[in-house]
Amino acid sequence: MGDAPKLPGLRGHAYAARSSHRQPARLLTREGGEDLWVDLQNDERAVLASAHLSKLRIDAPLGSAPRKITFPDGAVFETRDHEAIEALTGKTRGSMLHHYEGFNARLFGVVAVCLAAVWVMWRYGLDIMAAVAIAFTPPAVIEQIDAGSMQSIDFTMAEPSKLTDEQKDEVEKVYRRLVRSLPDDVQEKHSFDLLFRDLPGMGPNAFALPGGTMVMTDAFVKQFPDPNVLAGVLGHEIGHVVEEHGLKRLYRSLSTYLLIAFLAGDVGPILEDVVLEGNVLLSLSFSRAQETSADEFGLALSDEAGFDPAGLKLFFEKMGKEYGDQEPAQWMSTHPSSAERVRAIDAFINELR
Amino acid sequence: MSESLPVGAKPFEFTGNAKEWFGIWIVNLLLSIVTLGIYSAWAKVRHRKYFYGNTYVEGRNFDYHATGKQILIGRLIIIGVYVLLNVLLLAVPPLGWLMLVVLIFAYPWLIVRGMLFNARMSSFSNVRFGFIGTTGRAFLVFLVYPILMTLTLFTTFPIWDRALKRFSVDNHKLGQATFKLDVNLSAFYMAFLWAIGFVVLVNVIGTLLLYFVFHDAVSPTPDGVQNLPVLILIQVLFFAAFLPAAFIYQALTRNAVYNNTTLQGGHRFASNVTAPKLLWIAVSNMVVVICTLFLMLPWAQVRIARYLADHTGLIPGGSLDDFVSQQQEAGGAFGDAYADLEGIDVGLPI
Repeated sequence: MGDAPKLPGLRGHAYAARSSHRQPARLLTREGGEDLWVDLQNDERAVLASAHLSKLRIDAPLGSAPRKITFPDGAVFETRDHEAIEALTGKTRGSMLHHYEGFNARLFGVVAVCLAAVWVMWRYGLDIMAAVAIAFTPPAVIEQIDAGSMQSIDFTMAEPSKLTDEQKDEVEKVYRRLVRSLPDDVQEKHSFDLLFRDLPGMGPNAFALPGGTMVMTDAFVKQFPDPNVLAGVLGHEIGHVVEEHGLKRLYRSLSTYLLIAFLAGDVGPILEDVVLEGNVLLSLSFSRAQETSADEFGLALSDEAGFDPAGLKLFFEKMGKEYGDQEPAQWMSTHPSSAERVRAIDAFINELR
Repeated sequence: MSESLPVGAKPFEFTGNAKEWFGIWIVNLLLSIVTLGIYSAWAKVRHRKYFYGNTYVEGRNFDYHATGKQILIGRLIIIGVYVLLNVLLLAVPPLGWLMLVVLIFAYPWLIVRGMLFNARMSSFSNVRFGFIGTTGRAFLVFLVYPILMTLTLFTTFPIWDRALKRFSVDNHKLGQATFKLDVNLSAFYMAFLWAIGFVVLVNVIGTLLLYFVFHDAVSPTPDGVQNLPVLILIQVLFFAAFLPAAFIYQALTRNAVYNNTTLQGGHRFASNVTAPKLLWIAVSNMVVVICTLFLMLPWAQVRIARYLADHTGLIPGGSLDDFVSQQQEAGGAFGDAYADLEGIDVGLPI
């Protein structure tokens, strides 16, 4: 372009509409009534296109990448003379964004805000997204999730319960007393059903499904017939249901996956794995926090229903003695360790009194 | 693997720089986070536009024309379907089988839609790309071939890989001009053998070293203690053998693809990337990015873009002024959103 003729106007290159034909060209402006009239001329002074300034489509600035101006008939003018374009058009859509993207000291602030925002997003944003998603999930679907999950459990790992009706009745009594202690609106919101199954692989255990279905293993009823222990553990599971832990976890993990896929999409394959694995470790701490919260809910509930809240402690003490040496390290576990939970329960009971 | 491009080849040039891209990237990230991911659609456009707009050959650059709104709508559709499927799967587990069947057919269709959208939203020298691949062909290339490959114990991997590259290159157009990839299978098998040869060589050397240098260390140890050295060994093997082997294969096949691709009008392409250099850039990029908590990611991206551009060339067979865009509808961006979600590359094969 060094030997281009010295002609007035904004220099750049022109393309005809939908064509790769490229030639040196310049933009010339003149008064055209209420709006500026813009001509696109090549070096032979032939007018390639012209229009009012307001009819031109001017691409938003992006770094020092060339700016494009498209005429109504599709002809395109392209230039890297950013200052001249800016002088012609003034502030355009995207100018402010472009300004803030400029490399200067302010970007350190942006970096700091970014890191803070990531934290806030992880701490609160995901919960908000989960809450919105839960609000939009019809109750019928949640009930169906319970039914579907029970079908899979029965199909893959569970046998019918071998408990006697008396044994079941004892537990059911405890369970009903707990449920009756809940506020009325909470009682109505979830269908609290207690099911018994023989789950040989799970030992003494109980778990809750999002819709309110609870499952207790035969081994649990046989090893811990004490109503206070039953109340503590069932109260814990009721806590999971009332505080909607299952759904929150489901939507939280879906949202994080989507966010990482779309936000960090182009970090490259190896790095994306690093991010996803880091997220799995972080989400474990979220799961542990849920367990602690359900423990506290269960303690308060069994206390309210007239049981001894120390029952839950008895359970964890025994579990700690039997399985303590098999527990994984805290940071890689979904549940806090038994010793940890006993300590937290003691502290909570002290508070209740 | 010569260091210079063939005579007559005009090298590609990447004019972006890390400083400038950092500013755009970090603002993209911040706005994406504070808008709970909504801005990521516009961020994607700015990312693409920056890298395309700064890639030149013969004084002409690429461009990306999708709008944030298009990308956002595509993503919302895919997210809606994705969440719905996940919840449905929990609620009615037997439906899983039906979904699997539907997905098997939806997968190639979505990939084709993604490639179509991307091609039509990309331009070079003011002329839009096009894509003419069919879902049937994609079904064959993305689903049937991989199954056959597994059945033949991966010995047919180069055949599958060539089919993938052909599907991408042969189905792209610039305006009305078609691309054609005419490459011998032997080039792919040679790359494959080099890569395997490298893995074998490293293993042999590694075993000998272990035997002579650490003779005591490989003597039998009680069970349980052995696990740790094995884990370390796997890591070492990955970095010393498989990662370089993957780059050897990639470098050789990339060169083979470019050097055998033609664009209607007598235009040809050239590439002369080398495995050691690619490997060095990829590994050092990774280390730098992790050590700087991702803040150097823009620098890493610019660095690789610049290397690839410098080692890619166009050998024009005539004027580049004669391409003409075809009138075409790009359709929705949901295929592109699906590809983003699954991490499939449906962009231009550049």
